[in-house]
Order: sequence, then C-alpha cells, then structure tokens
Amino acid sequence: MSFRSGVATFAGKSSYWFLHTFLHGGSSLPGKITLKLDPNILRTLGAKYDVVVITGTNGKTLTTALTVSVLHEKFPTILTNPTGSNMEQGIVTTFLNAKNPKTGRPLAVLEVDEANVIKVTQYIEPKAFVFTNIFRDQMDRYGEIYTTYQKILDGVALAPKATIIANGDSPIFHSKELPNPIEYYGFDDQPDTDMKAKPNTDGVLCPNCEHILHYHSLTYSNQGKYFCPNCGFSRPELTYRLTKLGAQTPTSSKFEIDGHPFKIQVGGTYNIYNALAAYAVGRFMGVEPEQISNAFNANQQVFGRQEVIDVDGKRVTIILVKNPVGLDQVLHMIGTDTQPFSLVGLLNANYADGIDTSWIWDGDFEQLADRDIPTVITGGERYKDITFRLKVAGIPDDRHIVEPNLEKVVDEIKKVTTDHVYVLATYTAMLQMRKILADKGYVKEGLGI
Amino acid sequence: MSYELNVAHLYGDLMNTYGDVGNILALNYYAKQMDVTLNVKVVSLEEDFTSAAYDLAFFGGGQDFEQTIVSQDIQTKKAELTKFIESGGPLLAICGGFQLLGHYYIGADGEKLPGIGALDHYTLAQDHNRFIGNIVIKNQETGETYHGFENHQGLTYLGKDERPLGNVVSGKGNNGEDGTEGAIYKNVYCSYFHGPILTRNGDIAKHLLIAALQRKYPDVDFSKQEALPIPATF
Repeated sequence: MSFRSGVATFAGKSSYWFLHTFLHGGSSLPGKITLKLDPNILRTLGAKYDVVVITGTNGKTLTTALTVSVLHEKFPTILTNPTGSNMEQGIVTTFLNAKNPKTGRPLAVLEVDEANVIKVTQYIEPKAFVFTNIFRDQMDRYGEIYTTYQKILDGVALAPKATIIANGDSPIFHSKELPNPIEYYGFDDQPDTDMKAKPNTDGVLCPNCEHILHYHSLTYSNQGKYFCPNCGFSRPELTYRLTKLGAQTPTSSKFEIDGHPFKIQVGGTYNIYNALAAYAVGRFMGVEPEQISNAFNANQQVFGRQEVIDVDGKRVTIILVKNPVGLDQVLHMIGTDTQPFSLVGLLNANYADGIDTSWIWDGDFEQLADRDIPTVITGGERYKDITFRLKVAGIPDDRHIVEPNLEKVVDEIKKVTTDHVYVLATYTAMLQMRKILADKGYVKEGLGI
Repeated sequence: MSYELNVAHLYGDLMNTYGDVGNILALNYYAKQMDVTLNVKVVSLEEDFTSAAYDLAFFGGGQDFEQTIVSQDIQTKKAELTKFIESGGPLLAICGGFQLLGHYYIGADGEKLPGIGALDHYTLAQDHNRFIGNIVIKNQETGETYHGFENHQGLTYLGKDERPLGNVVSGKGNNGEDGTEGAIYKNVYCSYFHGPILTRNGDIAKHLLIAALQRKYPDVDFSKQEALPIPATF
C-alpha cells in the first residue's frame, strides 16, 4: 500500500468509525472521503480479492444476497456491500470496512449499479460478471435498455478475461460480440411452441436484423427461448437450465435446475431467476448442487422485502413496486395466493418514486379483476391516478375505498373481511406507511429494507 | 343497439413507452359506457394498414432505436395512413407517433429521419436536454384544460394547417418557445402528453370515439353518447 493509499484508507476507516459510533449511519461518506484523498484507492483495496460483480436493472440485491449465501457453503470469508450501496463510494466503503483476511484469497461479491461497473473495472479486474436483466426503468434514470446495456459493456470492456454469467432468456445479452468467456442460464422447462411477446413489451426487436422476435417459450416480459423467424438469431445454448418448474405460492417456489430439486422461501418467477443466477455463480465457483440447496433453505432472511406485519390480527404484507415489469411480477405472484386477500395500492410521485406516474398503466392490473378481491383501497399522494387505474382495470366501486390519508388507510385495513392484506407501495409511500405502523407500535423500526 | 369500432394500435409492440398503452385501456373504458365494443389490433412491421379496415387509430411513443425502425417501415403505410387521415379518420398520436406523422424528426445521433408528412409539422432535437415534468394546457376553442406529463427531447414546430391541442398554461409544450402543445388536424389529435393523456383527459377520448362513431354510422343519432359525463380523474 502506498503512503497516499494508507492515509486515505486511515481517513476513511476513521470516518466510518466516527459516523457509526456517534451518528449511527454513513455508508457512502467514508468512501467519499477516501476517494477524495486517493482517487485510485479501489486498486489498492480490491487487489487482494477475487471479485464477482452483479449488475442489471432488476434483482441485483436478492441475487447478490443469494450468491453470497451459496458461496458461503464453500468459502469462509466473503465481502459484500449492503443493500443500496452499489455506487462507487458505497463500494469503497465496503472494502474499507473489511477485516483483513487471515488466510488465502478472499472473495468479494458486489452489487454494482449499471453505470458504476466502469468505476469498478477501472481499478479491479473481476473474476466474473453476472447480468441479471435489463428492463426499462420508469424513472428514466439512464434511459433506454440499449443505453443501459452499453454502460455495462463500457465497464466490461476493461476486463475482457472475466467470465460473464448472463440471463440467457434476455435477448439483449446475446446482442453484442464480446471477447469474454460467457455462460448463460435460463428456463428450459417447456415444450417448444411459436408465439410473440404481448404487445406492450419492451425489447422485442431482433438485434441482428430488426424483425420482431418470436418465442418457443416465454417466462415474462421479453424473456424466454427466443428466435428470429427472419434471420435465425436465437437464444444461445444454456450452461445452467431450469429443467422443471414446480408449485409457486406468494411465499415459496419449487423448481429443478439441471435436474436437482430446490425450494426457496419466496414467491415470484423473478426470484427464481435470481436463484438461477446464484446457482450459476455457485457452480462456476465449484459449489456442489447439494450445498446450493442448503444455502437456499437456510437463508430466509435474505427475502426480507416481503415482511409480514401483524396489524390487530390482520397479516399485512408490504411490497415495494417501482417499475412496470416488477409490478407485473408482483401482481402475478399475489395471484398465486390460494387464500382470499384484500389489496391496497399506495402511489406517490416524489423523486425516489419516479415523478411520472404513467408507468402504472404498463402494469397488468386487469389480471386482478377475476380474483373477486373483497376490498381494494387506494391512497397516497397520487391517489387519484391509482384509483382511476384500478377503476379501469375493472375493480367495482362498491368494493373500492379511496383514502388519500395513510393513517386512515391503516384504519380501513383493520376493517377488511380477509385475514391477509397485500399493500403495494412506491418507495416513499412505503416509508410513510412503515413510519405510521412504527408510530402505532406494529413494527419496531421505520425502515424495513 | 350496440356499436363496434375497429381500432389500429400502430406499432403497439414497438411504440409503447411510459404507459401509452393506457390510452387503449381508457378508450375501452369510455367506449363500454357508450355501448361501443372496440376491436383492437396491433399493426406493426411488415403488416398492412388499410384505411378502410379501421375506424380509429392510436400511435404511441417509442424508444429511440425502435423509432428509427418504425421510421423506415411506416413509409410502406404512408399512402393508406394519409388516406385515413384525409378522409376524417380519428387518430391519436403521442410523442414519437406525433413526430412520425410530420415531415421528419432529428434522431438521438443527430440524423434526420423521415416521417410520413401527413401532417405539416417537423421536429428538431434539443442538445442534451429534455423537457421533463407536469404540464397543463388549455384548448382555446373548447375551453377544456388538459393535464399531462411531458418527457421529450424533440422540438416540434407546427405547420399552417394545424392548430395546437392547447396553449401551455404551465410546462414547456411543443418547443418551449411558441406556447403551443400538440396538434389538431381534421380528426387527428397529437400530443407529447404521457400520463397517459386519455386517462387524465377523458374529454379527448370522448371526442375521438364520437368522431369515429359519426363517421362509421352517419345516420345514427349519438346525442346520448355525447351526453356521457366525464368525471375528473386527475
């Protein structure tokens, strides 16, 4: 370590200690201080590690958590960044906090924001990259899916020897020739048919000849066993295959990968993709399928986003929704519930939610109309938008309660006829709701994720 | 009796940003209340659009890449789309769809891409800037106020045969200079509004549906449909 890096590391570590001891927080400021003193600090800090970078628009956090669990079955020391600290400063802080490993070469599994991949690869050559998926973000943070993928590739270009472990069902990950070794994972549990994605789907043009892609099988959005009837472009050979999809409920999924049975304590097809990615990294790093199964069974707390809160006997599940594909998947997931439930939709449009509420129209709320949901409540700062959305989706007025005020929404929740209530909320609406539930003593802390 | 309208969702599989599909959902919602069934069909690449086959059309916005592909393909539909528009066919075009009905637009890489020139506007591009935010406009003829969310890099300038959809009350509009937003030409309504436009401004959905009904069933009295109240949704 150079003198400069030494000073920078010391300053960063001291500030972290200070912030945590006296201010109970600070996950990016220590990184910021360290970076100011030594902009090349990641080279020094990361040199000791084998690094796996996990990136993509959806599923990064859970894939990272699952991958860490899986790799723990074989490797004792794994460094990882806490939720949300996936930009440069947060990553530097993560390395600063690491205890010096006693023996061997430790692993670091990092969730990295799409545009920050290059800020890691400038200094560190990862052993592997994981590409989860690229869906359009309603916030338009980086714009179009092609721009987002290019940002990732700009970072990958600096690490041409790193193995890419990519979602093979996503056509965009097969659109560019890359020098890196590539392994694909995907769903291979259905017989071949010939269909197109539903009309309101993003990214359905053949990257090769710009005709509309067809599919032998589809999971959701534009993911599946795609092929182009015009030029023959098709899904690449899969290294890791989901060979059987078993029972799915809102709180569990059973499936087989490469013939090995697995169960995860969380619902949603998107979470099976996350598990598939973690399996792929595990196998790439030499973890056995039985060990991976142990990891999936042992780690229920990584699925913390779907915490159940007891509100005077009502089981209330708050689920964060933030973009159309995620929303669709959540709607599909709660649709697998065999028990009756009530539904609450809370919409805000602050910066952290996305200031444009148009995206709620891309979510397929129409699939709820057949469910006979006894009570639907809509609220939040933009309650008018979500109210009309559900009205158009076919929710009858006599079952629909409109209540902008979240305190009163809690009162309404207590009155519903079902034991179980799903609350779908945008980011700031979820924080407000949790704060109210915390003030009333239903949850311990204000922050659940 | 009940009525049927055939709706062309132009390039619905490629031009579908920011909830624009909500316009189809809103059309359906109001059509049901007017005793009208909509048969919606996506008309996309290498598929024919025949003017006589449709009573109403919707054309949404797209991502840059998809829009360049549509810019090429739509030339094959230019004659029939122009015929549809000139014969009073009602059409709603948003963002990229609005741009492609005009003469040309400037793409993301500065290239000039052709529209079909059925309407007399053209679109330039801002340099590394977008108009993003809530917008309110007022239509001077009807007195109606419309609410939307704009998110566009394009700067559109209307031709002499076009009236704006409204004048900007707050927000940027077509180009941030002349106070216009959107365009009206015959029964064509154009706008940069997402939100989507018809979910927040049911009056426009009603105008489109009434125009389509009167054109398809010229001998029927639609005063009952015209009297349908449109409660505020925004």
